[in-house]
Amino acid sequence: MNATAFYFESSMAQESTEIARGLRRRDPDLLDRLIEQYQHRLLRYLVYLTGRRALAEDLFQETWIRVLERGHQYKDKYAFSTWLFAVARNLAIDHMRRKQPASLDGLLNDGEAPFDVPATGQASAFDVALRREQNEHIAAGMQHLAAEYREALVLRFQEGMSLEEIASVARVPLGTVKSRIYRGLSALEPWLKGAPL
Amino acid sequence: MNTAMNNDAHERARKLTALAGPEALPGADQTWLAAHLETCASCRAFAENARETIHALRAIPIAAERSLVSTTQTKVRRRALELQQHRERLWLVSISCTAVTLFALLSAVALWRGFEWLGARAQLASSVWQVGFLVFCVMPALVAGILLLAKDTHLANHTGSYQG
Repeated sequence: MNATAFYFESSMAQESTEIARGLRRRDPDLLDRLIEQYQHRLLRYLVYLTGRRALAEDLFQETWIRVLERGHQYKDKYAFSTWLFAVARNLAIDHMRRKQPASLDGLLNDGEAPFDVPATGQASAFDVALRREQNEHIAAGMQHLAAEYREALVLRFQEGMSLEEIASVARVPLGTVKSRIYRGLSALEPWLKGAPL
Repeated sequence: MNTAMNNDAHERARKLTALAGPEALPGADQTWLAAHLETCASCRAFAENARETIHALRAIPIAAERSLVSTTQTKVRRRALELQQHRERLWLVSISCTAVTLFALLSAVALWRGFEWLGARAQLASSVWQVGFLVFCVMPALVAGILLLAKDTHLANHTGSYQG
């Protein structure tokens, strides 16, 4: 078990070192590979963070340009995804500051529904309908959450990041991360059964 | 007092439930939480709802479209090329600056000796030929500065050439 954990840790460290080396060289092939590898995760994070699909797509492109330009700043002691999300987050905040002087509070909803839930495949009709209904409720609930709660929830439950990694991306203390996850999840709870009154 | 303690216990249980993620809770917390959930129906309901909420959260699929990925890759490659060209230009400019500096140093030494020799031949005071040397060295930069400052003023006509 320990040997397996050691193997995974050392192979991750080796991957991070290779990425750092490639980024310092501004290797376009490495960037192509990274864009492919992180495409869905990064876009999902940005969609949750901004609440707007079109803006998220613009920031997605800007993030990779920034990764190219500032790649030499990446330190291989961190996971690449943590650094990538931090870059994306800074760009999102810069964007909002240009629009209005605020931080993540500015990332409010403007009527767009970015978290569309597509129809699920087969499975028992009732279960599928119930699940789909719940997913729609939660997607709707997410749009009503403050951006910092959405961010904490997506990093924790979709990206599977540790609390420390989330704290590093969001640049907040660990206690704040815990509080955001707890409050975000509690705020979503009423949405599970439908829109709260 | 007892109610306050109970409220603390419920809150602790809910926080532990919410924070249980990819990594497992520490053993003592896990045991405590399991024992609490055994006896507390409301926290059990919260845990169940949290589980379903997390499941629903994970089920919201957001995928990047192929066109977005390929556009991004193209833009990144183009920018990488620009940066590389910029770096190459910067390298050329650095080499040129170094060469010019070296040449200027060498020629300054030679010029100094030349002015010294001329001064001696013409039997001039050393301060005179030294001033001459200074003016000779500064003159090109002085003329270039005057021409640049005169650009877009009454000294230059509309086509940018200088009036006599």
